[in-house]
Amino acid sequence: MSERTADVIIIGGGVIGASIAYYLTKLGVKPVLLERGDICAGTSGACDKAISMQSKNPGLHLDLALESSAMFPGLGEELGADLDYHRYGGMIAIENERQMAIMEKFVERQKNHGLPVEILSGDEARKRQPAFAPSVIAATYSPADAEVSPLKLTFAFARAARRGGADIRTGAEVRGLLTNAGRVEGVVTQAGEVRAGVVVNAAGVFAPAVGRMAGLELPIKPRRGQIIVTEPMPPMVHGEIWSARYIVAKYNPEMIRSEDPEAADLGVGLAAGQTAEGTLLIGGTREFVGYDTAVTPEATAAVLRHAVSILPFLAKVHVIRTFAGLRPYTPDGMPILGPVDGLEGFVMAAGHEGDGIALAPITGKMLAAYIAGAETDKRLRDLALSRFQQAK
Amino acid sequence: MTQSDTDIIVIGAGPAGLSAAAEAARLGAAVLVLDENDRPGGQLFKQIHKFFGSKDHRAGVRGYAIGDSLLAETARLGARIELGAVVYAIYPDRRVAVITADQRRLLLNPKKIILATGASENALAFPGCTLPGVMSAGAVQTMVNLHRVLPADKTLMVGSGNVGLIVSYQIRQAGGKVAALVEAAPVIGGYGVHAAKISRLGVPILTGHTVKCVHGTDRVEGATLVALDDKFRAVPGSERDIEIGCVAIAVGLTPLAELALMCGCKFTYIPKLGGHLPVHDDNMETTAAGIYVAGDITGVEEASSAMEEGRLAGIAAAEALGRVAPSEAAVLKQAVWARLNALRTGRFGQARRDAKERITAEGRGAHVV
Repeated sequence: MSERTADVIIIGGGVIGASIAYYLTKLGVKPVLLERGDICAGTSGACDKAISMQSKNPGLHLDLALESSAMFPGLGEELGADLDYHRYGGMIAIENERQMAIMEKFVERQKNHGLPVEILSGDEARKRQPAFAPSVIAATYSPADAEVSPLKLTFAFARAARRGGADIRTGAEVRGLLTNAGRVEGVVTQAGEVRAGVVVNAAGVFAPAVGRMAGLELPIKPRRGQIIVTEPMPPMVHGEIWSARYIVAKYNPEMIRSEDPEAADLGVGLAAGQTAEGTLLIGGTREFVGYDTAVTPEATAAVLRHAVSILPFLAKVHVIRTFAGLRPYTPDGMPILGPVDGLEGFVMAAGHEGDGIALAPITGKMLAAYIAGAETDKRLRDLALSRFQQAK
Repeated sequence: MTQSDTDIIVIGAGPAGLSAAAEAARLGAAVLVLDENDRPGGQLFKQIHKFFGSKDHRAGVRGYAIGDSLLAETARLGARIELGAVVYAIYPDRRVAVITADQRRLLLNPKKIILATGASENALAFPGCTLPGVMSAGAVQTMVNLHRVLPADKTLMVGSGNVGLIVSYQIRQAGGKVAALVEAAPVIGGYGVHAAKISRLGVPILTGHTVKCVHGTDRVEGATLVALDDKFRAVPGSERDIEIGCVAIAVGLTPLAELALMCGCKFTYIPKLGGHLPVHDDNMETTAAGIYVAGDITGVEEASSAMEEGRLAGIAAAEALGRVAPSEAAVLKQAVWARLNALRTGRFGQARRDAKERITAEGRGAHVV
């Protein structure tokens, strides 16, 4: 068995693991990143491209997102890669008075938290977004929403980390954790042991399996999101589009039930945006079905039914592909970040659900600073695993 | 289209699919054939030439006549054919998702599925290949034989397999000229008898040649041919220009195996048969239980063998549904295998038989009875 020593081991080669690896190298720490499959082969490679501010809950969630958002504009240049990053803004379509009441409160709280956002009348909304159906009674608009290619972002982080001295290994499966007297000492992979005083669990939806190696129960569950891809077409939508139902589905899917019971079961809400190539990505669902990544005809139909009601032109557009990704859900919608009580050297960095792309830069920066001992962000206390353990 | 009484869904109404449907219906299964085209028959109705083989293989009968008799057979036996019906997915629980001709979305739940989706023609990239007038040989054949439209006075044929040779002949029959037939390889790919026929009509067959580029402003006006050496490199100075209005590309076919891929079937790679293919056993059943394949999707051959494979799949699927006793099914299948093996003889046939044997060798034993 081969054995080697590193300062830090990161488990997981998704956008979060790659981001932490990159920001560590910026601080002079050269981590080993162990990825069971390939870089960006899991959740980060099976999502849409939105960097959404409007979908974030006002509070710590939105604060982190805004900080992360401010890091994006210069990131491509810093990483030496074209990330397909654009800040075209985003809109949330409101279909009825009930949604209007919820969104008015939501937007008011977001404004108070510093998010530039406003509610436009139906006609104003259609002026900005002519593709909206006449039935859209109003829409929010925020210039803060942006988009990025999640694949390009993840690979750019990984490549920049590698250039900075990180040892990034794919096909490296972590099978066990080495601990001694309440301290982490390394991991066991199929190719032997790797020793380090710090082990970062950035395994996303598979973080609970890594947690169990440390005797920890993590409240992370895979939540499936199905996404539909259309044929390429000329620009039809501007920036990112969501439906108010998407926001409701994210925070309280039961409220949709009276409108569409099947959509409530599947957690259907609209999240749509057009890629540089002209295809439209149309999401999505939020389903608890274990680790099943199959697509289903029921979800395709429910998502498209909802999408066509907001963007009627879609009725005449061909769908070329559907795919599903698993998002690492946590009960309070916030990631689990930072140290874990009782196991020194074990660091959590998972549970971002659908916010992993948007929160990747700030997550990487905060955790790298903590791990390198440069600075401990006070907010890590509120994001720690202990918030769930105390609740029990 | 209702789903409640469907035992078997056949996808593709070409020679393989229709034969499968006929055989399964004959044995008492309720069969529904789906095809995305607005006419059944696959390529049969544009095949105005006589088929090869023995009397058992309907040798001497023209393709469209075989198509007519297959349609009559399926109709007589009660297999339904739904046209303009696009199958866009097969889900892990074996549900078949269809968009019908009148734009309805259906989810069908058959007990067995037979994939007879055929193959698509390969493209060839060269400067000018997107100009109107550059098309597949199959498209030329459809225009000439079905729509009675000659694409151009003079055509350049690329590829000397049977498709290239036969379509060249049919262009001549329709009153067009074939300025040249180029073949990159040093030898003609198709049957000598077809090549001899067009040679006698004065079509120059240039082996060791390819099309370097096509010129024209809004459409094909001419092409530059170039000789190739034994390593397929262009020989400098060998270029020559010809005047043509159409380039027909006949450089092989690729099995349309996407639906088999969706079913999670095990695949193998056999370039001689067109590339990535779902493996199957002697019953034409793939490694996904209840999913059968027949025709070009199992490796590109000819309509004659596609029809026999279809019959095999039809019998096997009906047998699996209990519509026919295993002993009786064994006799029926043996007769089909005998005809299939007879087709796969000779210099060309034996190579195909060997390649096909590799597929079944991999597919055998996937389902323990």
